[in-house]
Order: sequence, then C-alpha cells, then structure tokens
Amino acid sequence: MGEDISRLMDGELDDEQLDVVWAQLKRPEGVATWAGYHVIGDTLRGTQRLSPGFSERFAARLAAEPTVLAPRAKPARSLSLAWSVAATVAAVAVVGWAAVGTLDPQANAMAKAREAAVARAAQIKPRSVPVDYLLAHQESSPTTQIQGVGPYLRPATATTFEARP
Amino acid sequence: MTVGTAIANPLGRCIGVAALAAAVVSAPMARAEDAAAWLNRAAAAARQHNYVGTIVYQHGGRVETSRLVHLNEGGAEFEKLVNLDGPAREVIRNQGEVRCYYPDAKVVRIEPRTFRNAFPSLSPQQQKSLTDHYEFRRAEPGRVAGLAAQAFVFEPRDGFRYGHKFWADAETGLLLKARILDENGDAVEQFAFIDLAVGGKIDREMVKPSWPTTPPEWLVRAAGPGDVELRDTGWVVRKLPAGFAKIVEGFRSLRGKRHPVAHLVFSDGLVAVSVFIENVGSAPHPTGLSQQGGTNVFVRQFDDFLVTALGEVPAVTVRQIASSVARR
Repeated sequence: MGEDISRLMDGELDDEQLDVVWAQLKRPEGVATWAGYHVIGDTLRGTQRLSPGFSERFAARLAAEPTVLAPRAKPARSLSLAWSVAATVAAVAVVGWAAVGTLDPQANAMAKAREAAVARAAQIKPRSVPVDYLLAHQESSPTTQIQGVGPYLRPATATTFEARP
Repeated sequence: MTVGTAIANPLGRCIGVAALAAAVVSAPMARAEDAAAWLNRAAAAARQHNYVGTIVYQHGGRVETSRLVHLNEGGAEFEKLVNLDGPAREVIRNQGEVRCYYPDAKVVRIEPRTFRNAFPSLSPQQQKSLTDHYEFRRAEPGRVAGLAAQAFVFEPRDGFRYGHKFWADAETGLLLKARILDENGDAVEQFAFIDLAVGGKIDREMVKPSWPTTPPEWLVRAAGPGDVELRDTGWVVRKLPAGFAKIVEGFRSLRGKRHPVAHLVFSDGLVAVSVFIENVGSAPHPTGLSQQGGTNVFVRQFDDFLVTALGEVPAVTVRQIASSVARR
C-alpha cells in the first residue's frame, strides 16, 4: 500500500491503479500513510514545521471560514514553497477530519464540509510533476548542456522521492 | 548583404564565410555570431575539460550544495555528482548509463540514457532568432570561484522568456555561474561553482561510485526512461511563442506509464520547453500551474489526454503552449 500511495504523490499512477489507491485512501491507515509521507517529504525538503496544536487551530478556523473557491494570485518566487505548505495543510486537515469523524454526528457534518474544502483545495493544487518528465526534458534542454552540470542537479527537490523503493 | 541572403546562400553555412560576413556586415549579425559562439564554447568546454568543483544551487529560497567531478578520457565522459547536504545521493554517469545511489533508502536506480552529447550548433537562422528575442551583451568582467570570469547577459525582448546572466571562465569558457531572472530582475534560480579546478589530473577512481559492488540488501531498480524514439506524433502546438522552434519530436517509454508518451521539445536557442502528451482516459486529473526552481509547469486535460508543458520559461509561456496543443 505504501508504495502505491508514494507513487500517487509522484503522479506516476495510471487510471486503473488510481482507483485502487483512492479506495486505500478511504481507510484510516491509508490516510495515515498519505499524511506520513507528506511529513517525511516536508522534513526532507526542509519545509518549515508546524507549531504544536496547529491542526486543532487550523480545523477550528477552517470551520469558521467561508469557502473561497478562487485561488489567490501569489508571487511566483514563493510558489514552490507555498504548494509544499498547501500539501501539508491538506494532509493535516485530512488527519484532523479522520480523528474528528469518530466523535458525534454534528462533528461528522462539520468534517464533511471540511473534507469538501480540502478536496477543492486539492483540485486547485497542481499535481506533482513526475521526476521522469523533468529528467527527460532536461536531457534535451540547451540549458543543461550550456551549464554542463548534468540534468541531475536541477530537479534536486524532486529527487527526494526517487529514492523510495 | 542582409541576414536573409546569408541564409539563402549555401556558402553562408560555411563557418569561414559566415564569420567573414559577420565581420563586414551589420552589427546584429555580429552579435548573433557572438552569442552563438559563446554558447557553443561553454557547452563544448563542459564536455571536453576535466574538472572538480563544488556547486551551489539556489532556487525558491532553498540552497543545495553538490560536489562534481567530470572526466573526459579520449572522448568518453564520466561524471560523479554527490550532494553534500540533505539526504545522501550519488549520481554516477558512465558514458551511456546513469546510476543513482540512495544510501539512506538502500536503493540504486540504473537508467540507460543517451545523452545528446553535441550541443546543437545553431544554424544561422537560429542565431538570428536568438538575438531577435534576446538582447545579448558582454557585461562586466569579474571573479567566480577564485577564477577570472567574463559575464554575458541575455535580456528578453518579450514576456515569453526569462533573462539569463552567465559568468564564464575567461580561460576555458566553462560556465562558472548562471542566473535566471524574472521580469522584475529577481533571481528565479542560480547555480554557481564556489570552488573549481580545471585541467588537473583526474583519476578514474574519482568518478567511480562509493559502492563498487551494490550491497546485497539494496534494492536495484533497473528501469527508467530510454531515449526518445524520434517520429511524428500527430500533435502540434498552434500558438508557439515567436522564436521557438521544434528540436525533438517522438515517443518515450516512461516508468509507470502503460503507453509511450508523446514528447515534443521546442527551443529558442537558449532554453527549451517540453510538451508531454499521454492518454489518461476520462478520469479527471489535477491540472494547472506549478513551479520547481526556474522550471514552470502547466498541466491541461482535454478529451482523454493529459498535456504537460514544462521549461525554464515564465508561466505564461508554458500555459500558452499547453493550451494550444492540438491534433494535426
């Protein structure tokens, strides 16, 4: 299961495989694996860690917020970091929902609304680009050849997940 | 004599004549020659010389440091790239094969790879195109990694490309530092040698992996993308930004994909945009814009196809290219 979820995060699954992994992600252990991989990825990439109690505070504030559908324009330079944080927030929110969902019906309804918000956030978050795409591109790009450092230097952030078995 | 007649004249292809023409005709042509000559020199130097150095790569607020050893032994290239911070990783390039070692995860990936060894020598038309879309100028001399360097600038003439500043080793032409700049002049990405020794003696041992035989408990993944199979894909980009021309078209077999993926590459002589088109069926996939270092990525889905455009260009360029992909 872990490998499938990891490959999902890398955008490497085809349709049939995707259906299987979506099913896995509906189970608590699937959600935990998904969140765990994101935490590992963020740690490897050095993305800023969240303060204690973040998930509770986030859930409370999210419940109080109206849902905004349109993505806000962000300065290009901070995009990459912003998306990493967005992924973390989404993962934390899903974990929060999984925990809250077992409590009572009202919480469950709130959680459903939250789940929908997370799903919409996931829709506007672009998929991660497969490492193979980046490498195949850089093999053919003049930039790589002018720099002479080989295609493996530039997609360095992407390669942390290359290592997974 | 105009540039147009120089291209039409078959003799114009001859380097000697072109150089002579450049010397006596218009300044734009001379600049085009200058820009192309400099790019070719940097690319050739990167392949031909032996060197050992430390590279700092900066993008989006992150800094990564790597150690690079490059050996050219009678035309055969060997390379070892070890990252010095973050999770350990070692990349060994042995002519046509690349091995990536991940000691923490105990994984080695072996990939057959045909490197396009020759930087495509730019045709006179491409040279002209390069300086039609970038203002090329020689900038200030300076020092990088303790070596005397000459700076060169490619300033974009439109919003479809980034600005580029390069610092080349005054002696060998080897690129010492490269910076990609956005429309505000802010660095999007930069790589620089912080120390570099060119032309020293490099032993074959220095480009060998730290694990001469792969430990038995390691996982070996001997897969990965092969070279592109060049042929007509039936796909076109209807609104290609000016100055970009197709340099590669074909299919690639990629890991985790059931069908070969169409791959088209467009270049303006300095950077490239890749377009990947795969049949993903009707299930919706995440689409939109993302960024990795100086590389922008735009994903679009239509019918059963997922189109991914990516390159070292602004977001508007990958968006326009991806959005105008169509069946011929």
